[in-house]
Formats: sequence, C-alpha cells, structure tokens
Amino acid sequence: MSELPPSDPVAQPAIPVATLVPETAAPAQAPMLLEARDVHKSYWLGDKEIHVLRGATFGVRKGEMASLVGPSGVGKSTFLHVIGTLDPPTQGQVLFEGQDTGAMPEETLSRFRNRQIGFVFQFHHLLPEFTALENAAMPALIQRLPVAEAHKRAKEVLELVGLGHRMDHRPGELSGGEQQRVALARALILKPKLLLADEPTGNLDEATSEGIHQLLVQLNQQLGIAALVVTHNPRLAERMPRRLRLADGLVVDG
Amino acid sequence: MKKPFRTAALLLALVLYAIAFASQLVLRRFLSVHGLLSADEVLIVSFVAQTLVMFVTGFAVTFVARSSGWRELGAASLLMVGVAFAALKKIEPPSFSPDHYLARTDELVVWALLVGLAGFLLALWGGSFALIIGASESVELKSGYEAGIARTHLRLDRSMLLRLAWIGLSIPGTFFGVGIVFDRFSNGHQVPLWSLPASALSFLAFLALLGDWIRSRVREARLKPGQKRKRPATQVMTFISIAGVAVGVWALTVVLAVMSGFELDLKKKILGTTAHAMLQRFTGDMTEWRTIAPKIRAVPGVVGASPFVFGEVMISHRDALTGSEIKGIEPSTVGQVSELPKQVIAGEVAWIDDPSQIPRLPAKPHAALSSDLQDQDPDQYLEDTYERRKRHPEEDTASKIDDDALFKIPGICIGKEMSHALRVWVGDVVSVITPLGDMGPTGPVPRGKNFRVACILYSGMYEYDMKFAYIGIPEAQSFFRTKDAITGFELKYDDVDAARGLGHRVLDALGNFPYRMRDWTDLNRNLFSALKLEKVAMGIILTFIVLVACFNILSTLIMLVLEKTKEISILKSMGARDASVMKIFVFEGMTIGFIGTAMGILMGLASCSFVERFGLKLDADVYYISSLPVIVEPGQFAVVALISLCLAYLATLYPAIKAAQLSPVDGLRED
Ligand SMILES: Nc1ncnc2c1ncn2[C@@H]1O[C@H](COP(=O)(O)OP(=O)(O)O)[C@@H](O)[C@H]1O
Ligand SMILES: [Mg+2]
Repeated sequence: MSELPPSDPVAQPAIPVATLVPETAAPAQAPMLLEARDVHKSYWLGDKEIHVLRGATFGVRKGEMASLVGPSGVGKSTFLHVIGTLDPPTQGQVLFEGQDTGAMPEETLSRFRNRQIGFVFQFHHLLPEFTALENAAMPALIQRLPVAEAHKRAKEVLELVGLGHRMDHRPGELSGGEQQRVALARALILKPKLLLADEPTGNLDEATSEGIHQLLVQLNQQLGIAALVVTHNPRLAERMPRRLRLADGLVVDG
Repeated sequence: MKKPFRTAALLLALVLYAIAFASQLVLRRFLSVHGLLSADEVLIVSFVAQTLVMFVTGFAVTFVARSSGWRELGAASLLMVGVAFAALKKIEPPSFSPDHYLARTDELVVWALLVGLAGFLLALWGGSFALIIGASESVELKSGYEAGIARTHLRLDRSMLLRLAWIGLSIPGTFFGVGIVFDRFSNGHQVPLWSLPASALSFLAFLALLGDWIRSRVREARLKPGQKRKRPATQVMTFISIAGVAVGVWALTVVLAVMSGFELDLKKKILGTTAHAMLQRFTGDMTEWRTIAPKIRAVPGVVGASPFVFGEVMISHRDALTGSEIKGIEPSTVGQVSELPKQVIAGEVAWIDDPSQIPRLPAKPHAALSSDLQDQDPDQYLEDTYERRKRHPEEDTASKIDDDALFKIPGICIGKEMSHALRVWVGDVVSVITPLGDMGPTGPVPRGKNFRVACILYSGMYEYDMKFAYIGIPEAQSFFRTKDAITGFELKYDDVDAARGLGHRVLDALGNFPYRMRDWTDLNRNLFSALKLEKVAMGIILTFIVLVACFNILSTLIMLVLEKTKEISILKSMGARDASVMKIFVFEGMTIGFIGTAMGILMGLASCSFVERFGLKLDADVYYISSLPVIVEPGQFAVVALISLCLAYLATLYPAIKAAQLSPVDGLRED
C-alpha cells in the first residue's frame, strides 16, 4: 500500500485506473486463504445452551469477495468473530493458510490479527479520544512501527478512502459515513489478506451505504484483499461475486 | 499451558527457592562472623538478598510457565514452608515471647508459614513484571501506544500536566517561602539570596492559581445547564486518588522527619556527655592502663581515649541530698572523648585539677548561659542558685574555712539540675559520701569527703544534668581506695556509626580477653531500641494511609477498566497483546501513584523546611527541647517514595490483569 498513488482530496475515492493492479487469478483457482471446518459455537445463559453455530463449514480464497446475509440474531456476528479469531469456537477448526489458529499461542494470534485480518464493525468502534489519523495509524503502532512511518501510512490509506481532508478530526466530528471510512482505513493500513466487515453500512442511509460498498468492491479489486461482508441489504449483497447465507447455524451458498 | 512447561516451571521454582533460602542463611552466617556490620544490618542485607532471589524466581517461572505460573509458585512455596520449618527447628532461633528462651514449635510454624507466604508474594510480584513485558513468548519492552492510550484515559494532556506541576510546586513553594521570609525578618537569620525572589514567585504562582480556579468556577457558573461540560466520574476519581496518595506520603515523610529529628537530638545530647564507647575489663579494675593507653590511641579510627574511674555516691549540701554517678576523669583528655568542656555554663573543667583556681566569691555564669539553656527559664535558675548565693553569704559553707584549707579541697563538676537541687554554685563546698566505706563494728560505715564545685555543666539531657558529677582521677582513686587502678577508658571514634567495627579493632589490638567494649548503642540500648520501635511502628501505621490511598487507585482503575471494556476489545481485535493491555493500566496506576508521590514528597519537604525555619515551639520544661526538631533525611524520603510507588504498582496489578484477560468480543457487542 505504500506505493499507492496520491489521490485527490475529495470525498469520493478516485483511483487512477492506470495504476490498478488487475486481479488476474480467478477466485476459484486461487489458494485457500481461510477455512472454517465444522465450527460450533454455543453460549450459555444460565444452564440454557444457545447453539448459535452448528457445524458451519466455509472457505474463502485469496482475493475473493463474498457477502453473508441472514436474519438478525442468526449468528452472523458470532461467525465473523469466530473466523476472525476473536472468539474461539466451541468445537471445530479455523485454518488460515492451512494453519490451525486454535493452536496458536497468545502472541502469535495477536500478531496474526494485527497483520492478516482487518475488521470493520457495524458501529465504527473508533477510539473517541484520537483523531482520524491516529485511529487509522493504531494498528501500525501496535505493530511497533515508528510513529512517523505509521502516520505516513495512515495518511495514504485515509486518502485512499477519500478522507484526506478530515485527518485531524475526531470521530465525534465526522459523519457516519466518514466514521466508517476511517474504520475501513484502519482495517486496511497494514495490508491484511482478509477483510471482515460486520454490517458496515447497517447504520447508514442508502446513498452513503452505496458509497461504502463501492469502495469495498474497488479496494478488493485494486489491492486483492479478500473480503467477507455481512450485510442486511439484499441489493448490496446481490452485487457481490459470491453470496452466502447463514441459516440454522450453517453457512450455505445462495 | 502444556505439561512439560509446568513441570519445568515447578522444578525451576523449587531450585530458585532453595537458592533464596540458602543465600539468606549463608549470608547471615558469613556476615555476622566476618563483617563490621551490626546485627540489624546483617538482617537487612540477608533479607534483601533473599527478596531479590524470590523476585527473580517469580520472573523466571513466569517465563518458563508462559503464564503467571502462580500454581507452580504456590506449590513450591508450600514445600518451602516445610523446609523452612525443618531448618528453623534445626537452628533453634530465640523466641519472640519473653516467656521462653528458644522459640517453641507453634512459633516456628507461624514463622515458616510467614516465610512461605512472603516468598510467594514476592515471587508473584516478580512474575507480574514478566507478565507486563509479555512473558508468554517474546519479550516486548516497547510501550509507545500504550502510554498514549493511558494518557487519554487519564486525560493528561500537556496543559493538564502543566497545571498539576504548577499546583505541585506553587503550594509547597508558598509554604516554603513563608518560612524563609519569616526566618529572615522575624528571626533575623541569613538566608540565601535566591530564596527570597523564589518564594515571591511561588507566592505569585499560588495567587495566579487561585485566580485561575475562581475564574473557571465563575465561568462554569454562568453556563446554561445544557452547556456544562460533564466531568467523567473516572476523572474525578483520578484526582481523588492522586490527592489520597499525596496526603499519605506527606504524612509519612513529615512524621518520620520529626522522629528522626528527635532521635538525632537525643543522639547528639547523649554523645555530648557519654563517649562513643567504653573499654573495660570483664572483671576488676584496670591497673595496666598507663601501658595500654598509647596502644588504644594508635588504633586507626580512634581519635581520643580518656581514662575514668566510676562510682556511685551521694552528694549533699547543707540539708539537700542527692544520689549521683560520679566519674573520675582526666581533664586534659576528657575533651577528646566528650563535649564536657563545651557544656560548662559556669567555672572551668580544668579547675578540677587545680582547685586553688576556684574563686571564693561566686564565679559569674558564662555570658552565653541563656542561649545555652535554650528556652528553659535561665533567670529562675540563676535566681535560685547564683543570685541566692550572692544574697545569702551566711549560707556559704566555704566562708568558715580558711584559705589554706579551702584551696586544697579538690574540685568537682556537677550538672545544672543537680546544682539547682542542691542549691549550690561554683565555689561552694559539697560533701560526697560513699556507702561502701570503712568496716566498722556493725558493718561498712559510710565515708565522706568534701569537694568544691569547680564547674556546672548543661548537657541538655535532664537525666545527665541531674545525676552526673566529675572529679579528678587521683581524687577518685583515693576516695574509692583503688590504688592506681581505673575503671576503664572512654573512647571517641572518627565515625560514630562504625562504632561496632572499630570496637573490634581496638579489642584486637589489645588481644581481646580480658577486655570488653561497649559502644554507645549498647550503653543506651533501651532508649534507642524504644525509639526505633516507635519509628517502625509509626512508619507502619502511616504506611496504612498510603495503602488506603492505593485502594483508591485500585477502585479508580477498576472503574476505568469497566468504562474502557469496548476500547480494550477494539485494541485486541487490532492485535494488541494481553501484555500491552496490562501495560496501559499499569501505566495509569503508576502515573497516579507517581504524581501523588511527587506531590506528597514536595509537600513533605516544604512543610519540613517550614517547621525547621518557623520552629514549632515546644514546652522546654516538659520536653527538655525548645522547638520541634525535624530532619530531612534524603534516604528516608526516598524510601517513602519507593514504598508508595511499590504499593501503587501492586494496586494496578489486579485491574490490569483483569483488563488483559478480557476477551476481544466482550466489548464489541453493542447494546
Ligand atoms: N455473549 C453472548 N451471550 C449469550 N448469547 C449471545 C452472546 N452473543 C451472542 N449471543 C446470542 O447469539 C445469537 C447470535 O447473535 P449474533 O451473532 O450477534 O447475531 P447477528 O449478528 O446475526 O444478528 C443471538 O441469539 C444472541 O442473543
Ligand atoms: Mg450482528
């Protein structure tokens, strides 16, 4: 991402077509990036077991983009957390590039989350005390990059999402769409291989949602980042190359 | 945690625990045999060594176990309780209870349990450090963003820090300044020139601070309800915690400074009158003293040695009578070992040797008398002794004796309180009576002898001024019929605090037996151990204030952790390590602890110097000291700061570990 071209500071991301790196490999032939095998997840409320995931099996290839839909409360967030290693599955495996994440010790797992996965949540979950620039730079600081380098990258990635003119604003001073863009910049700053977005447009109006989705698709095509986007909006889901549905604790195509 | 790690951790814990105990025992034995250290110092050194090893144990075990490893440490500690018990049983230490000489089994059990518990806690402490730097895999000493996040939690931006520094400096500075100005203009003391503008500046800063505060209050009062900025509860709690730590540290430093002041005052007075050490034979008097005197003086570190003869007598004048400890001294050398010549308020010490110098008329008191007597009432004293003697010549026992006889009566120096009690002045004749006189038909008959008062001494210790009397060695020898023997030597060293070691040197030079040495700590053991006990007790009680303040830190941090659960989750989802989350909260607690401690130390310094200069008056007749003595011992202040910071650190551990253990999803669920 460091060799990204400078983009003009308007709200809409504008990336010169000439610099695009076309994703040549067809997703079907690309190597498997992340795999969930027979993943179960239960929550306990008192002695009542809530069996949310019941053997979900799923794989996403390098550079692939997919949407995940399902009614509210079916377990979409839970699924995303489990495959993003934020929450261990009750049973089953999550493999990343063939490696079992369940066997990783704390430090490796942290580094894995830091470098390989970018999260975007429904509620932007930015740190309110920090500016957009500092928020976007946080993963780079966690990686212990020098502050100057982290800020340089954060600037680049903020420009990429079209927020070059809002760097010194705090989240409270940004609109919902802008906040979500900052969150996206933060997720992308370390060039992860997989982006997990949990209803990134759930709280936004139609037009803004449209912009964010366009941006997601664009980033996927440009940077080759695989993405799994949970969404409520069937129209947006339709436009994804691959569509998944979560039902009865299982992930099914369609 | 995997099994092999656990076993390795347990084994390591056991080995290191064993090393810790062994180092404690070996050091104690080694140091007490060879060293120049006192028993207390040996104890401190060996315990510090053990503490360090325990600390390292926790650190190492945490690394090997790849987690806090408290189970392994606990198991090793339990085993060590058994080992300690067996070792103690073998060593047979003295009992703490006065009823027994050796410790009984139940006492040993308590000892062993305490040893195990202390070891366990210390090891956990060491382990916490390992956890903070991320012991589970690779070490990470960096802490860039953690500090930044901690600062935003506490809302410590630059202006806030500046304001805190301003408060911290200007309030104590104002106190300090008032003390200095008072000292300069009321007591007329010279003060360093820079201190006047400095105090003026801090006073101005203080006023500005006050103005600023009032202005912000006014501004806030004018705001409409909706406009008012709400201060988060945690920020208020942060300030309360800082204030709590500051007050605790302040109390601790001031009280310890006052106690040190009393102790030093006492030490000065004691060492003014009694020598640093006393050399005697185990039995009997010293007849060979003339031959060993040069040997003693030749020992490096010995700056003076003066022979003395000691006896207990009664002294009477007219119908007044008092008991006394009388010492035969050598006026020419006594100044080398004590401050006796400087304590004279009337007469001369040298007149002991040359009684013909003692005038018939009452000798005038020394000009400096009233300042010597500090704030005791010197007029009353002089009225009762010197003036009375002038006004009532008929009470003068010496007037009936003709010159020839009078100037042959040997001289005696007595303390101020004794002269008051006996109502005598320089030149008066007193009789000294020993109950162990000649054998009469019905047993020993008291024997008396007349002495003329050659000088009056004021040591500042009531006991000494009431009890001690001094005569020449030849007179003492003939009075107690000891021929040419003396009781022993009084010694003075170049370093009071090395008295014990230097005593060993002197004894070695003399071939040890039959000589024995008692230094000033031995001679005043009761007094100093009481003082020390008092100081330790006060220190512990006041440390509880700091401890309570640290509970404030604990609850503030717990609230912060609860408030920041979401943030912790976000950071973790971005790949922040457990150790990093722990660091954030340890930073916060330590910042509170550090600011509080710094403010407390500053306030302590300021109020000590204030009291030092302003001088809190004490009733001199009660305390025998005119104003509250304070001493700022930098070491003591450093220890207080260290204790406070350690407690603050301990207080951070629970919230920090809890925060680190939060799962990333705990805070992500929005409700
Ligand atoms: N920590 C939890 N404790 C108990 N139940 C939970 C917890 N998290 C999620 N659930 C339950 O799991 C189910 C799936 O939740 P979620 O994954 O948030 O659904 P979605 O994102 O599809 O709306 C819901 O019924 C929810 O109540
Ligand atoms: Mg959800």
